[in-house]
Amino acid sequence: MATQAEVRAERLAQLPFEASANAGPKSVGGFIASVQEIFSHRELLDLLIRRELKSRYKDSTLGFVWSLIKPLVQLLIYYVFIGTVLGAARGVPQFAIFVFSGLTLWGLYSEIIASGTSSIVTNAGLIKKVYLPREIFPLASTGSAIFNFLIQMIVLLAAILLLGQFPISLNLLYVPAAVVIVLIWGVAFAVLLSALNVYLRDIQYLVEVAMLLLFWASPIVYSWNLVVDAAKAHSWLLEIYLLNPVSLAMLAFQRGLWQAGSQVNVIGTNTIQPQQWPAYMDVRLAFAAIAGLVVLFIAQRIFARLQGNFAQEI
Amino acid sequence: MPALRNAPTVVRVTDVSKRFVIRKEKSLKERIVNFGRSQKHKDDFWALRNVSFEIKAGTTIGLVGANGSGKSTLLKVLGGIIQPNDGTVERRGRLAALLELGAGFHPDLTGRENVYLNSAILGLTRKQTDEYFQSIVDFSEIEEFIDTQVKFYSSGMYVRLAFAIAVHVDPDILLVDEVLAVGDEPFQEKCMNKIKEFQAEGRTIILVSHSAGQVEELCDRVVVLSHGNVVFDGGAADGILALRESFEH
Repeated sequence: MATQAEVRAERLAQLPFEASANAGPKSVGGFIASVQEIFSHRELLDLLIRRELKSRYKDSTLGFVWSLIKPLVQLLIYYVFIGTVLGAARGVPQFAIFVFSGLTLWGLYSEIIASGTSSIVTNAGLIKKVYLPREIFPLASTGSAIFNFLIQMIVLLAAILLLGQFPISLNLLYVPAAVVIVLIWGVAFAVLLSALNVYLRDIQYLVEVAMLLLFWASPIVYSWNLVVDAAKAHSWLLEIYLLNPVSLAMLAFQRGLWQAGSQVNVIGTNTIQPQQWPAYMDVRLAFAAIAGLVVLFIAQRIFARLQGNFAQEI
Repeated sequence: MPALRNAPTVVRVTDVSKRFVIRKEKSLKERIVNFGRSQKHKDDFWALRNVSFEIKAGTTIGLVGANGSGKSTLLKVLGGIIQPNDGTVERRGRLAALLELGAGFHPDLTGRENVYLNSAILGLTRKQTDEYFQSIVDFSEIEEFIDTQVKFYSSGMYVRLAFAIAVHVDPDILLVDEVLAVGDEPFQEKCMNKIKEFQAEGRTIILVSHSAGQVEELCDRVVVLSHGNVVFDGGAADGILALRESFEH
């Protein structure tokens, strides 16, 4: 009778040799191999997302409520100061819904990028000691950002219902499209920046500053009509503005959820025209998604090239 | 251990070299200030130089050498954690690396949660972990603390749990980096018995150790490294002598 050792030896003799990680095919083949490798680690990804969520508020009494308090306070600030005190709400109907939908989508994007960028460095302990497909760390950050986004989405939808603004129309289809675009671009940047951050720690601080600036490059606290009016003389400026995929996604998101923006409204004595949504929005969204996938592919290839030295650079 | 006749090769290392570049500046400011002179701010040395060998299934092989001789780097290259600059490493079968016990533990999670997380990191599915869970807890002997956050564990409890998980992963190849001397004496003995059980089951063990006694007791082959080169490859007793000799250079 064969002993356990002999059985094992026989099984091993049948197996093909595998080259150690990453020596495999380059470009497209390498991308597909990486995706397959990540897919085979999906249970681990799930556990890492849970770990991130659980550990974040582990010892606080309010726990997950904290992840809601921040956006709600932000909403309050923008609603009271920008909306009422500075008077932006006079030109924007249902200002609360408008601002909160913008903040919700922006929150998803900025959290993916900010926490994704530092994800490799924060998991240094694991990366130095165990081989895992390293893309899993920015993806885990993305997963926890999605979870927070979903909680905010529930609050947003509840608010929309309470205010009697539920936008049942085909425009709702813009919402998933907007989320998909933000996810594609967010993950692409998270993957790329997390790898660069290993070699140049300044990246994570640079990202913080860049996100602060980019917040104002999308129509989150000011409306699209304002941009259209400001750039009336130079329509090419609008095209440049719309090249930012997040601005475009933001508009699509608002078009889906912020019903008042597509209607004629009367606030006090002012009559407010509906938002002049950009022409060919569907085509633009499709292009933004495709361009995002190309960028994601390139980002993953750069990541794969850089990750070979992660363990010694961290 | 009696080696099997015509055992298959499980690890094949061909001409592997690894160069480390040590940059002295890390921040953007320093890089810009030193731009163009950056060559002067680099140091490199070869941690491994043209290392080649093969390992047959079921052998226990000890990697020994002085501090800085490249043994841990070689172990990391074998585990795919570091990529070599030159040469290839091929292997087959399931590999588990025990380079640091509890590397994946998160201090804020409980022992139970960490068992699931760490098992997933080492490659077990959730279902398999469910199956092994009781046996892992029994092996570690810390049942009453399993639902406590691991940051409250003593260092002994920590390594016990980590080792218990690692030995339940069912690897074909096990990489071990000086982690066998953990816990108190009875637990150490338990670990040694487990390693011997692994040997009897035909698993391949690659071990980095500074303890000559341990190497002599466990290994049937020793590779001595010195400054990134293989200076000896052969039986355990001769290997220890070669190691002593290499200290003198």
